[in-house]
Amino acid sequence: MSATSQGGFAKSIPGLILCMVLGWLALQWDYSVRGWQKDFKECQKIVKTSAEGVGSTAPVEEPLPEEALPKEPLPEEALPEEALPEEALPAEALPAEALPKEPLSEETLSPFDAYKAKHAEKYKEQLALYEQGVLKKKPKKPHILKQDVYESLIATNEIPFKFKFGVKMIQFQLTYVAVLLLGGMLIRNTIGIPDIFKPGTVLARPIIKPGIVLLGGYYVWSNLFKVGLVALLLVIIFIFGTVVLVSFLGRKLKQDEGLIGVMAAGTGVCGVSAAVAVAPIVKAKPRDFFYAVGTLLLFGTLALFTFPYIGKALGMSEPVFGAWVGTSILNTAQLVAAASWYGHDSLLTANIINIVRVGFIPIVVLYCIWFYLVKGASAEGREEKMNAWQVIIDKFPLFILGFFAMVTLNEFGVFTKDHQYIFGKQFLKIFFAIGFAGVGLNIAFDDLKKAGGKAFVIGFFAASFKAILSAIIVILLGTAVFQVQ
Amino acid sequence: MEEFEEKAKKTFSDERKEDIWVLIISAITVILGLTGIITKNTFPSLFF
Repeated sequence: MSATSQGGFAKSIPGLILCMVLGWLALQWDYSVRGWQKDFKECQKIVKTSAEGVGSTAPVEEPLPEEALPKEPLPEEALPEEALPEEALPAEALPAEALPKEPLSEETLSPFDAYKAKHAEKYKEQLALYEQGVLKKKPKKPHILKQDVYESLIATNEIPFKFKFGVKMIQFQLTYVAVLLLGGMLIRNTIGIPDIFKPGTVLARPIIKPGIVLLGGYYVWSNLFKVGLVALLLVIIFIFGTVVLVSFLGRKLKQDEGLIGVMAAGTGVCGVSAAVAVAPIVKAKPRDFFYAVGTLLLFGTLALFTFPYIGKALGMSEPVFGAWVGTSILNTAQLVAAASWYGHDSLLTANIINIVRVGFIPIVVLYCIWFYLVKGASAEGREEKMNAWQVIIDKFPLFILGFFAMVTLNEFGVFTKDHQYIFGKQFLKIFFAIGFAGVGLNIAFDDLKKAGGKAFVIGFFAASFKAILSAIIVILLGTAVFQVQ
Repeated sequence: MEEFEEKAKKTFSDERKEDIWVLIISAITVILGLTGIITKNTFPSLFF
C-alpha cells in the first residue's frame, strides 16, 4: 500500500530524504569503485610496460593478464572504459589541455606530461583513422591516472591497494544495488528504523518506476516485438502453468478455493499486488491471505539475493538471466533489483518481460471475477454482471504507457546516444538507487516470518518449480532469443 | 471481506496515483535531457 494513504505526503518526507541520502552514498561507492577499477587497469598496463622495458610512459594496447580479469563476465556497467561511451569516463579522464596542438618533444616534458601526451597522441591518431573510415568504432578517450598516482607508481612500481580493492568489489558484484539491498536489510533488522521514516521508505519503492520508463529510450519497436513475443508466450505459459499447479496442489492438500485463488494469482502473475486484487473476489480468509503474502515476500526476498549468484554459477548470459528473473521473480522492484545487479543487458530483457507480465494483471483480475463471481452466480441460478472494459481500465498499470512513449520517441530518432546514456544509465541509476534503498529498508524478517500454513507449502513449491522450469527453458532458448540489442 | 475489498480498492487507487507521478517525473527528466539542461556531465558532477 502506498505511503500516501497513511497520512499524506508530508509524513513521507523524512523517509524519502533518508532513501535519497542512502541512494547517494551507494552511488558514490559505486562511482569510486568503478573509478578504482579503471585506475587499476591503467596501472597494470604501465607496470607491465615498465617490466618489459618498453618505456613506462608508452600507452599499450595489450589485453590484461588473465589474473587481473574478473573470473565471471562483469555487468556492462562494470566494464572498463573501452566498453563504455566516452561520457562514462570520469571528468579527469582526458583534460582538453592534454591534447597537444603541436608535436611535443619528449625531452622537454616531465614523465607525467609525456605519459599524458603519448596517450593523447595515440587517441588523436585513432580518431583520425576513425574519421577516414579505417576504424569502424569511434575510439574511446584514454583513461589517464592522476599525477600523484602516476608518479608514485613509477617510483614504487606498486599498484595502490584501493585500486585492487575496487576490482575485487566489482568481481563480487558489490555494486550500488547490493550495497543498498543488503545494507537496507541489515539496518532494518538490527538497529531498526524510527517510525518517522517508515512511510517515506514505503513511498520510495515506486521511484524505481521512472527508471523503468526511461529505460524505454533504449528500445525500438522491432526489438521490443522480438523479445516481447517470446516474453508473451512465456508469461502466458507460466501464468496458466502456475494456476494449474497451484489448483492441483491446493486440492490435494484439501484447501478452499479462496486460498487457491490468492496463491494462483500471487505466484502466477505479480506477487502481492495480484494477491490483494483477487483476495476479495475469491473470498480468501484473512489468515490464509496473510500467510500467502508472507510466502510471496519470503520467496521474492530469497530469489533477489540468490538468483544473481545462481545465474553466475550456471553461466547464464545477461539476456538469459534477464529472461529468467522476468519470468520467475514476482515483484517488480525485486525483479528490477536482481536484473540490475546482474548487468544492464539483463535489465533490458527483464524489463520487457516485466512490462508484459504486469500488463496481465487486469486480465487475471477479469478472469477471477468471471470464474468466482459470474460463473459462481450462474451455477447458483443468479445473474452477476461484469463490466470487462471498466475492470481493464481500472487495473491497467499506467506507467507502461510512459515506457511505450519512450520506445516510440526512440523509434522516431528523437534520442541521440547521449540521451540514451543519460536516461538509461545515469538517471536510471538515481531513480533505482532511491527505490532500492526503500526496498532494502522494507525487508523485515518479522514480515517474512508470517509465511506459514498450507499457503507456504503451496506457494513455495509452485514458485520454486516455476523458477527451475523457467531456468531450464530460458537456457535452452539461449542468448540470441532474449538479446535486445 | 469488506476489509479486503477496501484494501484492494485502495491499493489500485494508490497505484494509479503513483503511476501518474511516475509519468510526470519521467516526462520532466526527458524534457530536461532533450533541452540540454541535464547533460552527460550532470551525473558525474554529483560525486567526488
